[in-house]
Amino acid sequence: MNQPALLSKQNIIFAILLVVLVAFPFVADSRTLTILLTQIFIFGILAMSYDILLGYTGIVSFGHAMFFGIGAYSTAIMLKEIQPTIPVFIGSIVVGMVLAGILSFFVGLLTLRLKSHFFAMLTLAISGLLLVVAEKWRSVTKGNDGFTFRAPDVFKDRIVFYFCVLACLVIVFLILRRFVNSPLGRVLIAIRENEQRTRSLGFKTLHYKVISSIVAGVIASLAGSLYAISLRFVNTSMMTMDITLDALLMTIIGGVGTLVGPLVGSVVIEFAQHYLSGLARDYPIFERWIIFFGIIYILAVVFFPKGIVGSILTKISKWKQRDQVPLPESKERSK
Amino acid sequence: MDLLISLVINGLATGMLIFLLAAGLTLIFGLMDVLNFAHGGLFVWGAYTGVVTYAYTESFLIGIVVSILTGIILGFIMEKLIITPVYGNHVQQILITLGFMLVLQEMIKVAFGPNAIPVTVPSYLAGSWEIGEVIVIKYRVFIIVVGFIIFGIFHYILTRTKIGLIVRAGVINKEMVQALGINIKRVFLFVFMTGASLAALGGMLMAPYSGSIYAEMGMEFAILGFIVVVIGGMGSFSGSLLAAILVGLAGSFMAYYVPYLSLAVNMILMAIVLIFRPQGLFSMIRREST
Repeated sequence: MNQPALLSKQNIIFAILLVVLVAFPFVADSRTLTILLTQIFIFGILAMSYDILLGYTGIVSFGHAMFFGIGAYSTAIMLKEIQPTIPVFIGSIVVGMVLAGILSFFVGLLTLRLKSHFFAMLTLAISGLLLVVAEKWRSVTKGNDGFTFRAPDVFKDRIVFYFCVLACLVIVFLILRRFVNSPLGRVLIAIRENEQRTRSLGFKTLHYKVISSIVAGVIASLAGSLYAISLRFVNTSMMTMDITLDALLMTIIGGVGTLVGPLVGSVVIEFAQHYLSGLARDYPIFERWIIFFGIIYILAVVFFPKGIVGSILTKISKWKQRDQVPLPESKERSK
Repeated sequence: MDLLISLVINGLATGMLIFLLAAGLTLIFGLMDVLNFAHGGLFVWGAYTGVVTYAYTESFLIGIVVSILTGIILGFIMEKLIITPVYGNHVQQILITLGFMLVLQEMIKVAFGPNAIPVTVPSYLAGSWEIGEVIVIKYRVFIIVVGFIIFGIFHYILTRTKIGLIVRAGVINKEMVQALGINIKRVFLFVFMTGASLAALGGMLMAPYSGSIYAEMGMEFAILGFIVVVIGGMGSFSGSLLAAILVGLAGSFMAYYVPYLSLAVNMILMAIVLIFRPQGLFSMIRREST
């Protein structure tokens, strides 16, 4: 790729991780863990797409769940109405992505001109509106009750689905890494650091922000499609604020402005959710595990704005700086 | 005719409750440039502490006092711990106040249990009057009266007293106020605590009106509060009253005539305002939209 020297070490780590993950289902014969990992991958995709907005472009959207929901619903509806086969499944992913892309284009065009406060509020309102539509349009969505559908037969095997999701994760990761390292991605980072200066350099920042929101929306729709398959059920809870909050927590705790960060966040949050709700039988306080994450999240925003991965990267680059030229990697978020 | 009157009363009562929430939001935003996404949390905490006290002491008045006190205390803690560290950074403000909202909402479930708590109207406010063919529910009138009294008091404070003068000047240009030797930080704290107590009071008044309280209602009402703030104009106190009444009336009429659109209409209203007049309908500050 374009940065061979830097990437070689990284790539080796990624390759080792990938081999471990590929070997995992054959080594460990644990159904729960396989399902949990699948979940982690799906939310990792969602959190990465959210980080394109929050970490790379520096805009806070509270409406990310609507793209997730669009993906979930288009997959569920097409598999139920046409037939549960692989081509239909792939087609439904494409349909979901196109719909999400169109929607995010219009939402972005309307809202991204506004200041961050208004943007956050308006995305919240639009996703709320879409949620109401989904709840009222009962003939298609079955409202809050949702509906079950048959997944393609191949996915009956949890391990096959595990590999499918893992493949999606790797592909999305590679595409997004290429995206954020491209000149376009650099402009997005410039917008995050100082929008006014970027504009005075001659970039039409609105265009770039809309592109960023389209990319994020399309990827979120993919995550939604996969999530619908993993549950074989959809209802309107997939479009609620909770999904956006999950993505937000994962991104903030894992580390904004990196692609690995949201993945780490997804691992941390999903595992914690799994084990803390297990503990809840003995200690009822753990039923409200989200409190701990809320507090960690607040502390992270104040003290570690770069999250787990960002803080580690800063440490590493500082350590390296002692005997080498400074790395351009650790970028301070705008204060 | 009687239908029209009861719809108007309904809308006004809801509007007043939203106004109590939005008044704090709009002043905090206008003065401090902070959009408090945790405002709904204060609303719920006011409702829960007030209702629990009301259930213990069987006095609605003590419940109201306790809910206001809760609002003041929470407002103080929040301003000191949550708002001050991220002052001036919009993205962090949005993130941190939303996180605090999450914590407040979950703490409600820990402290008071996750189930909805039923609330009854105190006996002296229960029942209704019959005027001709119109049935007027007493409690709704009570809310409207309280809302107007509070508006009157704060309108007086804002326009006739020194502190009001400082707040209004701060909304328009806070650097200038600071340059004149006024400790704007203390004014911030005062406004924040006042806004928090208004939100808590709104929650408490809301409880008997809707009949039950639950942890998630904070976010639902906060969204309405945001809509009102946007429509009324950031920092405009009277604008938030007018917009709250507008939203309340639109909600009650739509809920009767076109129930499908009842929630959507406010969102659409806000979207239109934001796109064509981002500073709000009644705003007195001129601030560029980008």
